[in-house]
Amino acid sequence: MNTFAARRIRNLGIVAVAAILLIWFSGVMTTALRDTARASGWGLFAMICFLAAYSLRKKLPFLPLGASSRWLQLHIYVGLLTAVVFGIHIGWRVPNGLVELLLATLYGFVFVSGVVGLFLSRSLARRLTTRGEEVLFERIPIYRKRLEAKVESIVFEGLEASQSTAVAQFYADRLRHFFSQNRNFWQHLVHSNRSRFALLKEMQAYGLYLNDPEREMMTRLVTCVEAKDDLDYQFSLQATLKYWLFLHVPLTYALLVIALLHLLLVTAFAGGIS
Amino acid sequence: MPTFESIQRPERWAVPFSREMTDADVDRLLTIEPFASVDPTRFRGTVTLRGILKNDTRLVRYRPGDIVVRQGDWGNSAFLVVTGNVHVELGSAANLPNEILGRQPVRRKSLFQIIAQLWANSADPEVRDVAAYRDDPRIGTRGSGEQTRIYLQDVSTVLSKYQTAKLEAGQFFGESAALGRTPRSATVFAERPTELLEIRWQGLRDLMRRDDALQKHIDAVFRDRALKWFLMNTPIFQHLDAEEINVLVTEAKFETHGQYDWVGSFKRLAKQGIDTDLQHEPLIAEEGNHTNGVIIVRSGLARLSRRYEHGHRTIGYLTPGQIFGMDEIIDGWLGKTPKPLANSLRAIGIANVVTIPTHLIEKLLLEKSDRRHLTRRGGPKTDPLASRAKIDTTRINSDFVEFLVENRYVNGTATMLIDMDRCTRCDDCVRACASTHDNNPRFLRNGPIQNNIMVAHACMHCEDPVCMIECPTGAIHRDLEGGQVVINDQTCIGCSVCANNCPYNAIRMVEIRHRDGDFIRDDKKHAPIVKATKCDLCSDQIGGPACQSACPHDALIRMDMRDVQQLTDWYTR
Ligand code: HEM
Repeated sequence: MNTFAARRIRNLGIVAVAAILLIWFSGVMTTALRDTARASGWGLFAMICFLAAYSLRKKLPFLPLGASSRWLQLHIYVGLLTAVVFGIHIGWRVPNGLVELLLATLYGFVFVSGVVGLFLSRSLARRLTTRGEEVLFERIPIYRKRLEAKVESIVFEGLEASQSTAVAQFYADRLRHFFSQNRNFWQHLVHSNRSRFALLKEMQAYGLYLNDPEREMMTRLVTCVEAKDDLDYQFSLQATLKYWLFLHVPLTYALLVIALLHLLLVTAFAGGIS
Repeated sequence: MPTFESIQRPERWAVPFSREMTDADVDRLLTIEPFASVDPTRFRGTVTLRGILKNDTRLVRYRPGDIVVRQGDWGNSAFLVVTGNVHVELGSAANLPNEILGRQPVRRKSLFQIIAQLWANSADPEVRDVAAYRDDPRIGTRGSGEQTRIYLQDVSTVLSKYQTAKLEAGQFFGESAALGRTPRSATVFAERPTELLEIRWQGLRDLMRRDDALQKHIDAVFRDRALKWFLMNTPIFQHLDAEEINVLVTEAKFETHGQYDWVGSFKRLAKQGIDTDLQHEPLIAEEGNHTNGVIIVRSGLARLSRRYEHGHRTIGYLTPGQIFGMDEIIDGWLGKTPKPLANSLRAIGIANVVTIPTHLIEKLLLEKSDRRHLTRRGGPKTDPLASRAKIDTTRINSDFVEFLVENRYVNGTATMLIDMDRCTRCDDCVRACASTHDNNPRFLRNGPIQNNIMVAHACMHCEDPVCMIECPTGAIHRDLEGGQVVINDQTCIGCSVCANNCPYNAIRMVEIRHRDGDFIRDDKKHAPIVKATKCDLCSDQIGGPACQSACPHDALIRMDMRDVQQLTDWYTR
């Protein structure tokens, strides 16, 4: 069976076996009083270089370097395995040197951002298909502006037709802010409908004090509110899917720089018999 | 007051093949063979011989060396030599090189050129090197607009170097490809000043129906060349010897279902949405009826459906080479009682089918097969019956199959499908496409979505490439090696015929520019020069389609819709 589930189980299995073997082997070496730090250090550095090289692969799509999805699979599982090698390398203790502490923290952030990013990639992509129309991220501001203009024209038309400022007042108090920007970023991210629900409820309640033409305007505004909320949902999820990499990648470069520094320090101050 | 008898004009004549055909032309044609000996009384009602000649044909003049059709071209018409002569390339020793036919052989970039894309891609869109349009001395073009022709510059050398057959006044060519909706099998060019009568497919069909001699002639030519080749290359018959193939060829029945020009009606139907009563699709074989043979799709597409409540549920589709009705024949043969058809078969747009009678299937295939393999699929790979292609899509959600078939996405051999449940909208695919095409992405990452699968607006490299019909210079063509549909930028005259014909809006007309960003203009009217552009499946790159290999999340695939097994595996991952 070539399902994603089967692939995941197989790859996790391989990583688990590799992790156990590595821990066992480092245990044996330590008992034999052999230095494992050097080997695990170089191994970790090589793995991190490989993980960082994925960025290069992405920038060279025309070279026959293999499918990006293959790279990502290797990236994820080698990435997970680095945690074990990292643990072995620091002897499962918090390091005490300044550079070492910085290095470990950076590694931790890169690792965690990778795992979180992977989770987001898998879960948000799926959720995007459940609400609102499929929109290109770059076009979201245009659609939002269009909705904003539509709402304004409904309100202005209404002002003239109904000779009353009731709806316009509501717009000024409650809707202008809502339509002027992408809103409720975090709520959408955690899939909460609280704000949408509250606003719609409020519009419904306000309807009790309106006359028929105004109520009809309100109904048209409700459709716009729903459309805008769906757009916000798309914005929030798509932006998160894009921008988590702005953490993962720069941190990777920082990690590489500090790792090189660390390497320089330990090799420069390495004593022992040549 | 005089009364005029009014008759209803056949609809297709509302748009004649050419507005330039005059009554005098028709009178002249009626004096030459084969039309002189056609019995006009066989034409009754609205479709008259005169009417066909006036509305379904056009007279085209060619100068020495002009290429009439190229091998691999797609066309909807046949030709009759009126005066002069043409040569058909036989291709037995060597084929005419692509370059002199105005085709760009797909040349893969070298590793250096590939890497150079890092810095050499243009900053402006659609930049071209004008020198490339002037420099190729091998390609001769003359005429203008849709009358532009590619010609052989040295006919006598071509004639001495390549083997050809001469066709003279009164002889037909191109009828098999026109009737079978298959690619032209040979290149034809004029040797002398030549006048040809080009007859569009519908006219040819009506002429054949009413003229026995013509029918017989075309039937014989078709069976002997095209049908034989087709049957020999159909996997279930591949083990038969020459004599057995000949028996098949003589007894096979050949039919066309649907409309040649399906694009117009498709665009109208697409607006109406999915219609499960399927009344608009011509029935080839009906569920519940008894079969009189195995039906093989020769070209076009067909829908497999089964009655379901008050409509019909689509359960699969057939692409060229696939067969229908075999299971019923096998079941009937094993059980000794004939079995009715489990599904209906309908033409999607157009389908050309070949029917092989049941008794021949029994005699030539079943009697020689191992009974154990017949009872169930999945016998040894060497058994042609057991390993025949899977055609039912039962493991795929039926809404999705319905959507693919109804919108004719099953026409694609490289349809771009994106699994929106996995796509993170990172646009790596678009960026990869841009960087492999001089910074001009050749597709749009949007399109209709069904069951969370998007069919993106990208050229699907269709099995039935309607875009190729009517290209005046043959610039849009199928690469004979890779099978992808590509445009030769050098010979594209920017007429937009392909873009208008494409039912999926996958071809874009663009204005081209110099490296400094200025538009390239023609020297007479100074209007910007326009070219057709579309996805070329990265045929000049070494790593295959960049969009697919750039997708980190296994969301995007270029799907060969003929391979139902691959589609099923991908859908059910
Ligand atoms: C620990 C060391 C790691 C390093 C140095 C690293 C580095 C990188 C780099 C350089 C990229 C390329 C981003 C780009 O250019 O767009 C990347 C992408 C990615 N990494 Fe990591 N990574 C690490 C660990 C992980 C882990 C442990 C996971 C998950 C288990 C992970 C998941 C991902 C994912 C999902 C992507 C993005 C794919 C995409 O949507 O384009 N990474 N990483």
